[in-house]
Amino acid sequence: MRRTGSVAKMAGVIKKTTGLVGLAVSPNPHERLRILYSKILASLQTMPQDAAYRKYTEQIISGRYSLLKAEPDVEKLEKKINCGQIEEVIAQAETELSLSRKMSEWKPWEPLIDEPPPNQWKWPI
Amino acid sequence: MAASLVRLVRGGVCRSLNLHRTAALAPARLEATTAETRPTVRPKDAVAHQQLSAFGEYVAEILPKYVQQVQVTCYNELEVMIHPEGIVPVLTFLRDHTNAQFRNMIDLTAVDIPSRQNRFEIVYNLLSLRFNSRIRVKTYTDELTPVDSSVSVHHAANWYEREVWDMYGVFFANHPDLRRILTDYGFEGHPFRKDFPLSGYVEVRYDDELKRVVAEPVELTQEFRKYDLNSPWESFPAHRESKDAPKLEAGDKPPVTK
Amino acid sequence: MATTAATRAAGGAAKAVKPIFSRDVDEAKRRARELYRAWYREVPNTVCIYQLDITTQQGREKLREMFNKNKHVTDPRVVDMLVIKGKMELQETINVWKQKTHIMRYFHESETPRPTDFLSKFYTGHDP
Repeated sequence: MRRTGSVAKMAGVIKKTTGLVGLAVSPNPHERLRILYSKILASLQTMPQDAAYRKYTEQIISGRYSLLKAEPDVEKLEKKINCGQIEEVIAQAETELSLSRKMSEWKPWEPLIDEPPPNQWKWPI
Repeated sequence: MAASLVRLVRGGVCRSLNLHRTAALAPARLEATTAETRPTVRPKDAVAHQQLSAFGEYVAEILPKYVQQVQVTCYNELEVMIHPEGIVPVLTFLRDHTNAQFRNMIDLTAVDIPSRQNRFEIVYNLLSLRFNSRIRVKTYTDELTPVDSSVSVHHAANWYEREVWDMYGVFFANHPDLRRILTDYGFEGHPFRKDFPLSGYVEVRYDDELKRVVAEPVELTQEFRKYDLNSPWESFPAHRESKDAPKLEAGDKPPVTK
Repeated sequence: MATTAATRAAGGAAKAVKPIFSRDVDEAKRRARELYRAWYREVPNTVCIYQLDITTQQGREKLREMFNKNKHVTDPRVVDMLVIKGKMELQETINVWKQKTHIMRYFHESETPRPTDFLSKFYTGHDP
């Protein structure tokens, strides 16, 4: 109780809980998101220009980043992003960051490894 | 663009649900009054179909290295056929990408089709709570080719993979604890394979002399023996290539091909 | 990718296959030998823990017989698969997940040998 109280005081927000198990209220979501988004954009820079993953993820992330810069109020920002509470948006950014790092290892923009054997996906046989 | 795409997916699902409800009533009335010229079929939900195929194309565009084919079935289920090398990347992408977020693994199972070169199909069913949608990922393997375990992506896959190993004999590489889950210790064979006989190989009884349960090879009595208990596989005519039927080549008309 | 390339180079076969564990026959044989040793050491413990009515010697003979049953297998992937299954059985035995009945099933004590010649088949009455 004391801890959530102090966190709320630090952030200056009314919200005490996200209502979701295991997802704590973020004390300073703007700062956290700013760091995450710049990290994601940096890791996307290592991929080739024409990779579809880079193209689409840059669209998503830079769109959210500009919303983040424009809107200081958390609740309005949540409405504008329209993807759940701000803590969930942070969680999405975290998974996207780990994914983008893995993606640069896997290189999924390369051509297809192997064609399926004939009639593999034919149904009914 | 990205945010609008998300909204389109979300809003579209709700809209299509409403549409489905209203549309289901109206054509049913119409059909009742007119003569029954066509069979009662599930009304087509063009909106949902459109969105699913758009998302399928999105996945195929991002992961061209692994995705072999994308299709939306007649029941509006999105299916992504991938190369077995790409199981972990594709599942991780679907879990972690902001526009996908398929966080839950609903089911993992296999299908045995002995006439194929790779007789086992491995099927992953995923659910995205965020966007209220489901996706099915399919890949293939044979008896001896190991498949990468997806436990590192979804913990739920642990027991499912044990089940597939036990029932079909597909080996999952890098599985943390691969052992039998359903069959008895000492059981031989994989019961869900199509070549496994319906009666099994052994029967079990209590032996009074040895004072323990013993297993013996199945011995069927005279009248029971007349039935063909080997396999129900051949009794499905659809699974046999008929000689005079018109040949449909592979990839003749897939609904959505990448 | 590297593994498939390696097998292609080693095997020179028309179609490269993904190995389970072993790249070649020697490695597969080594794994099979390791499994045999592990079982061999485990036999006395098994006889003791499960209170089996057999000697260690009999157990080891049975072990040898069961390994010899698959002597003809040369494909490293098949050998690997058999070794995997053998390891799982060993784990079940060591952890006493099995019971006496499961161990004694290897010895087929209750089974009567199947008739082979025509007359004894006739006497037993069924079984073609």
